[in-house]
Formats: sequence, C-alpha cells, structure tokens
Amino acid sequence: MTVPAFPDRARVDAHEKVIGKAPYAADVMIPGMLFAMMVPATIAKGRIAGLSTEAAMRVPGMTRIFTADDFSPPPPPAPGGPPPPPPLIISEIAYRGQPVALVVAETLEAAIEGAEAIRPTYEEASSFSSRIDSAGAKQEPVKPVSAGDADAAMARAAARHKAEYISPAQHHNPMEMLSTTAVWTDGQLTIYEGTQGANGIKGNVARALGLDPAKIVVKSPQVGGGFGQKGAGQRQTAIVAKAAMVLGKPVKLVLPRAQIFHNATFRPLSRHRVEIGADAEGKMIAVRYDADHQQSRVGRFPPSYHSGLAQMYGIANYHGTAADIRIDTQSPGYMRSPHPHPGCFAFESAVDELAAKLGEDPVAFRLKHDSKVDAFTGHPLSSCYLNECIIEGARRFGWDRRSAAPSSMTLPDGTQVGLGLGCGVYPANQHPAIATLKVMADGRTQFAVAGHEMGQGIRSTIEQVLVRNLDIDPAKLEILIGDTSAAPQHTTAGSWGTASATPVAMEASAKLNAAMTQLLAGRDVSGNLHRQLASVKRPMLQVEVSRVPPGQTTKDLETLRSGGHTTIGPNYPTFTTFSYIAHFVEVHVEPRTRRVRVPRVVSIADCGRVISPRTAASQVLGGVVWGIGAALREQTEVDPRYGGWLNADLADYIVPVNADIGDIDVGFIDRPDPSMNALGVKGLGEVAMSGASAAVANAIFHATGRRLRAMPFRIEQLL
Amino acid sequence: MHRFSYVRPESPEAAVEAFVAAGADARYIAGGTTLYDLMKLDIEKPAHLIDVTAISGMDAVETGGEVLRFGALAPMSAVASDPVVLSDYPVLAEALDKAASQQLRNMATVGGNLFQRTRCLYFRNGTGNAAGGYPCNKREPGSGCAAVDGLDRGQAVFGQSKSCTAVSPGDWPVALVAMDASAEVIGPKGKRTLRVTDLYRLPGTTPHMEFTLAPGEMVTAILVPRTKAGRASTYHKIRDRESYAFALASAAVALDLRGDSVRGAHIALGGVATRPWRSPAAETALVGKRLTREGALAAGRAAFADARPGRHNAFKLELGARTVADAIMIAAERRRA
Repeated sequence: MTVPAFPDRARVDAHEKVIGKAPYAADVMIPGMLFAMMVPATIAKGRIAGLSTEAAMRVPGMTRIFTADDFSPPPPPAPGGPPPPPPLIISEIAYRGQPVALVVAETLEAAIEGAEAIRPTYEEASSFSSRIDSAGAKQEPVKPVSAGDADAAMARAAARHKAEYISPAQHHNPMEMLSTTAVWTDGQLTIYEGTQGANGIKGNVARALGLDPAKIVVKSPQVGGGFGQKGAGQRQTAIVAKAAMVLGKPVKLVLPRAQIFHNATFRPLSRHRVEIGADAEGKMIAVRYDADHQQSRVGRFPPSYHSGLAQMYGIANYHGTAADIRIDTQSPGYMRSPHPHPGCFAFESAVDELAAKLGEDPVAFRLKHDSKVDAFTGHPLSSCYLNECIIEGARRFGWDRRSAAPSSMTLPDGTQVGLGLGCGVYPANQHPAIATLKVMADGRTQFAVAGHEMGQGIRSTIEQVLVRNLDIDPAKLEILIGDTSAAPQHTTAGSWGTASATPVAMEASAKLNAAMTQLLAGRDVSGNLHRQLASVKRPMLQVEVSRVPPGQTTKDLETLRSGGHTTIGPNYPTFTTFSYIAHFVEVHVEPRTRRVRVPRVVSIADCGRVISPRTAASQVLGGVVWGIGAALREQTEVDPRYGGWLNADLADYIVPVNADIGDIDVGFIDRPDPSMNALGVKGLGEVAMSGASAAVANAIFHATGRRLRAMPFRIEQLL
Repeated sequence: MHRFSYVRPESPEAAVEAFVAAGADARYIAGGTTLYDLMKLDIEKPAHLIDVTAISGMDAVETGGEVLRFGALAPMSAVASDPVVLSDYPVLAEALDKAASQQLRNMATVGGNLFQRTRCLYFRNGTGNAAGGYPCNKREPGSGCAAVDGLDRGQAVFGQSKSCTAVSPGDWPVALVAMDASAEVIGPKGKRTLRVTDLYRLPGTTPHMEFTLAPGEMVTAILVPRTKAGRASTYHKIRDRESYAFALASAAVALDLRGDSVRGAHIALGGVATRPWRSPAAETALVGKRLTREGALAAGRAAFADARPGRHNAFKLELGARTVADAIMIAAERRRA
C-alpha cells in the first residue's frame, strides 16, 4: 500500500525567516561573552618561527591570545574508529590561511585589531605544490570499479566518443558564515554552531580535547545553508571550545569570509576522461571513465565519481578508475551533489556528444535506454523513472520546436538559441533513526529526531507527516532537531534527511495513536488528541520509536546512539535505487560579445514520494541555479606562486545574481519507491543539481556548434 | 581596525580647514561605500575622517542650463533618475545604473565615485584578516606587483607599467571623460576647475599615487557641457554576470550624426585601462564617414590597435573592440528612436 500524495503547504519556518526571527547559531548572546578572531598564516607551507603577542596584548580590551603553545596534540585515533578530528593550532603550516593564533577580547573590534597586530615570522618550506600540475603533486590511485567487460564491449562498439572534461575548484559560500560559540559551565560544554552534524562536532571536540562526550551538548538550531560545507568538522570548533574552557567565559567566533575560503572544505578541481561506446542500434554498451581530483596531503574526501552513471542508462559494461592528486591545500570535501555534479557534467556532455556523432536526437537517444537492472550488483532498480522525467520535461519545454542542427536557431538580432538536455542521478540513502513523540493536553506536541534544518525544509517534511497522521494542533507543534540533547543526531547530508526522518515520524504517529486507543479503552471521547488527553485527565502521552532501514541492523542503531556515522544506499540487500532528474535548458548567446543567457529551464525529478511540494520545488530551484552558476560563473582561483585562494570574497568569486536567472519550471514524477521506506521517499537535495551544468553545455553546443568541456564557460571561450 | 577621529563640518571651507588641521592621513568621506570597505580590509588606514555629508546644497542636480551641474554629494541614484539625464544623456544614466546595486547607488555620491580604487585581486588581498599579503605597489609601495606575472585576466591592457597593471574600476568616470566633463575643486589654495580626465594619473613607477588632487582638495561639483551628441549615446558594459560586477570591457559612446554620417564622436573605454581611457583613434576612425556595422567594428579595432595584453587577458582586445562596435550601433539607434 502506498501513501497518497501530499498537499502543498507553506514551510513551517517561512514567517519567522521572513521577519528575521529564525534563530541561527551565531545569534546567541550570553552575558559576559568574549569575542574571538583567528590569525591566518600567510605562507603556503612551512612552520611558525616566531610569534610575538606583545603588540596585540596592548590593544585595549584584550583578554588572551592562544597560540600553538596552548594546545597539546590529541591522542592518536583508535584503529577502526572515527577519523582524527581537525588539528588544533599547530606550528606546522600545511596551507595558506591556516590559523596560527586565536585572539580573544572583550569586543569584536578589539579581537580584530589584536589579530591584525600579530605578524608571525615563518620558516618557509623550500617548495610547495599549489596546483595538480605543480612539481611535488602526488597521484594516488584508488580501487577501480567494474561491471561486465568494458574493454571487450568497447572493442565491438560501432561508435565511440572520448573526451576530457574539467570541473574547477569551487567554494560553497552559504550566506551564514562559519561560527562557533562555546560555553563552559559546571563541567558541561555547550556548543552553538550552524552545522549539519551536531553529533560529529560532539565527537570531534571530545577527541580533540580529551573530553567525555557525555559532557558536551551541541545545538544547531537553523543552518543558513550547509551544502556539505557544514557537514565535516570545522577547524575552529575545538579551538574556540578550548578558549572558553581556559577562560571560564563564553567565547564566540564568526569567521570572516576570506578565512572561510581558506579553512572550510571546498569542491576540488576534478578531471574526467570519459569514453562511451554504442552498438549498431545506437545503444550505449560500454563506458571507460578515468577520474582524478585535487586533494590535500591528508584529506579523505574520496574520488568516488562512478556512482549511478551506468545505472542511468542500464549500461552493462563499465570500468572506472579514480585517483587523488595530493598537493599543499586545505582538505577538499563534500559540496552539493559532490560527485554527481562534476560526474554528470562530464558524462552527460559525453552522452550528448555521442548522440550528435550518431546523428540522433538527444531526447530520443536517451529514451532508448530504459534502465531496469544495476549492472554492478545484478539487483533490480527498485524505481527508475528517468524516462518519465525526460518525457514530461520535453513536453513542458517544447522540445519538438528544436531544430536538430547546431547553430540553426537564431533570433532576428542574430542571437543564437540553443536547447539542451542534461540528466542527473544521485544515490537514495538513509540512516537509522530514534524519535520521541510527545502530545500534551495543553495543546502542544513535541517531536524529536535526528536531522538538521539547513534551509532544505526538513521541519516542513516532518510536519507534513505528523499533521496527516495525528489529530493535533499544528500551530503548537515543535520539531526538535540538530540538538544532541533532544535525540541522537546523525549528520544530515547525502540527500538522506527526509528519507530517514519522515518514515520514523509516521511510525511514531501510528504508535501514539495506538497508545491513545489503548488509553481511551473504548470510551467515546470527542475532540483532537489534546482534548482527549484533557478529558481523561492525562497531561501527556509519549512514545519512543526507532527505525532501521532495509539492510541495517540494531548494530547501526547503536552506532547512531554513540554519535557515529552509518548510512545505507544506493545498494540494499535485494535492490538498488537512485533519484533521477532531467534538466532542459534554453540558452541565448549574443552574436558579437558572446554573453550566454539562460532564459528558461524545465527540470523534472524522480525523488520517490514528494513529502513537501513547496520545499521540494525550492530545493530544485536552488540546485538548478547552482548548476547554472557552476557552468557559467564559479571558480576559485589559485596563484601557484603563493597558494591559497585569490578571489576569496563574494565580489570576486562570481555566483549568479537574480538578473542571471530566468524562468525555472520544476516538476515531479511523485511516484513512491516502497522498497526504500513506508513513505516511498528517495531523496532530492543533491540530485537537483546533478546534470544541470551539462544541460547548459549541451545547449551552448546546440546554439553555437562549440563544445565547451572545461567549466566555467566564460566569455573568452566563445569569442 | 585602527582608531580614527571623525568630524562632520557643515561647509566646504570648514571641511578643507578640518583636513588641513588634521594633517597627514586624513580622508574625506561621503557615501563611504569604498572607504569603509577598504578600511575593513586594512588597506585604507585613515587617522582622521572628515565626513562631508552635512554640507548643505552640495547635492544639487542642475540640468536646465548650457552646462549640466551635479553637486558632488548627489547620490548616484538621483543623477541616474534625473529626467533630463535620462532623455538627453543616456550614457551618463547607464554608467551610473550599471555601476552598482540600487542600495549602493543610494549611498554612493557622484563625487566620491570618481575616487573609487581598483578591484585588482592582489591589491584587495591585504594582510588584514584575510590570508593574502600578496605584494602590491599600490597598497605597499616598493613591495612589487604580483599581478604582472600572475592571474591577470582582469588586468589592464592600456596604461599599465612594470609596477602596476590594475584597472581603474569606475563606469561613471569613463562616461564623464567621454563627455568632456570637468570638476570643480576646493582646497587649501582655493578653488579651481579641471577636466575630469586630468584627475587621473598613470601608474608609472608610483602606482600608489592615483589622483592629481593635492592633499585637502575636494571635488564639489561635476560639470558636463551640453551637447546634442548626448541623445545618441550609451554606456555598454560587458561583465562576468548580468549585474553587480565590474567591467571586463565597457564603452561610453556619444555620436553627433547627420543622416547616416558621423560628424563627431565621443568614445571612452572602461575595464581595460589603468585610468578612464578616451580613445581618439576610435573617434577618428568614425568621424566623417557613413555609419555602418563594419565601420563601427573598424573603430573598435582602432581603439585597441595599440593595446598591450598580459598573460590571460588578450581576449579583452577582441571583446573590447566588439563592445565598442556594439556601443556605437546602440548609440546610433538611440538617435533614431
């Protein structure tokens, strides 16, 4: 039995966000609080030779300056345990912008002035590698992935296409800055931080400072954009916590944006050499794909670029290699649609190039490949509605108006028009959850579960499920997430938030309704649950529920309880499942000065059952905007002589502005995947962006006949 | 973050007096949209701020006479929305409109905008709280220029030296230079009037010295001579996004047309030079000829004939030539409209 479609509802926090009342972590103000500023290293590699704090200590209002001398190295990580936390302040400089001191003062102004007064001397390393082609860059292959026999299939292919595609280094730049506020009272450490992983922060700080995790509470009330930047442990968190513990006063640090560019994770530059072979009927039968990406000396963000591509089109033979290229930078990490964005850009560009080589229409070419089976596992795809996405998108977009030949559509002023398609894929993941549901006679309801609200609307999806299944007052429903004291938390990322939080909300609702039936014991009591409780003179009714996704066990529940990381997907014991999307993009290329405009996009997603139509559509809008930005605008620049990032602010790191964005029409297939969970939810946030940049590239090719393979596509590439 | 004194005099004379009394390291401040930004970046470190926004009458916009007169304190948004400027001088209105967001245009003044400092990435990456500290002769004289052999996609192809390749960032000054504007100035030695183009220095070996005004001098008004070429004019700006970005290449163009033939032309370039760059070569290529798209492109190419590209900005020569050509055709179309 599948659940019916959900109605459109405003997001639960829309009003408080619009009036500026939604609480963010850095908004917290505590009497007696001190303010901190970090001092960034201005060399790319080496060690601190000397650091004088004298001038800084003379700044009025200065409290204390923390340097490498104030921190001892954390104990080595346990074998098989979680990875080591980010280093504290240390003398060895691994990248430009690494913190060399933390200045704490009574006012923010004094902290800034003190930080500017600290000018360490350095012993610079004799050389460093700031680019993947620098001397000293070290290529480290990881294990290849294979299905079928790609070499043999490629050898018998009737047509082949092979090319290299490049995605540049990019930074997330959410509006909310990275921040940490730490409060140490009575042996208890409370950390307020906008994060996607309150549990991860708790574990990292405990390990970095040798504390009992039970003494740490982390609160992440709202996140002003996470996008993966706030999923990993941040460099500053334990440093600020230590300062608060030493000083016995609350300490707040908000990083300036230039420091975020240099300390936060980022999307690494990646290169994709893709070869696709098609048989005599023009069906894709083989893929060979070599990927590598920029990596720090110690980083762990894996080059996993091969997930889902073969499964989009049911390609039976696939061989993918991948490698890290280690250089002297801070560690890269997950940035929205981390692997599928650059991967689908490369792969979907290559699919388009192969279709063009075969003289086939890009829509018809893809539709020949209805995908049913995962070639890597042999398992069925429990749901794959990519073709439905393409068909509905083509209909809304008016694909039939497209004339096939490149450069064949122009406006009267000579503007070249291009219509392009790019598809995307993302694994459908989930994790175990433990939830508490409490309905009270006074009209209130509380629901606590793992999850972080980073703008995607997880509270709104949870509310949809609770309000449908419980007769309660929605105005007094409180959803407690992102708080390690409310429920065991799990990092919210990888599009697993809704698929993990909403099924357990449904189970909790059912359990509470059953408990109520039992409580009433056949009495006919009118009114909603609150009135019924009041009538039987019970102040409240509470249930606790835990849910384990298919393929996981109670061991995974234990991992969740202890603050660990445990997800499953896209490979489940008997099936495989992904989310899919089809983006249709219209570009206009100016005849002479060659600016590229994107007046119109249609994007249709298959994310399983849509729980909150309003926030789901917003997710896709944001993903498409980012896909346009990635294709046409964004790149973080490195001057190889210096390392670091040169365009480290929002003026020079070019993201799209409103004037860059035209109409974006979003639609959903909205068919549940019952294998995933009782609601049939897959996931949406990441797939929303996957393939959008390829659609832009493919549309530019159609408009101009020029194939652009290195993002971002700037004006000089089309002159 | 450095301590500074702050005064708010109520007349131009009192402002000059305050500047003289303050001595070295004083700065006039009006809208603050550039100076506060650079103070936060630890690039500008004034010890004294003389806020001129309390001076009354210095924000008048007078467009009725033979000379348009814009008080230095007039907000950019006020001049851009003046009906005479809109109808008779689209080049001026567009230069202001495309210069910044509405919020900035409401704060920034037309006088202060003349003194906006470069957006060169190496200049703006000071030591402050960023991880920069790149050498920059403009920021720290004698420290060298990282841009010359660095990432110079945005740098100048005209007027640069071995010491500095930074682009003069403004749009409004480019339009004013094209339209032969002048500036009224008051200073310790009294009042004078000079051409706007003469406000700007080439970097040479002293790129930290960007303007010709003596210490304590302040622009009080901008004067634009009335010309019927103003109607057939445009400010055409090409950048990395549709809005809220500095020019990769821009052109201020005003044409005096009789029928299809060009009797006079005003052409200046932005985004490509170390100061607002008038292009007599482009003007000469047009004047006395029938206006055609081919002729416009020839003028654009003439404008860039003696440009000197760096490592990553050679595209500006072709882009700039086409921008000039498109601007000429847009300006001509305006006249017909």
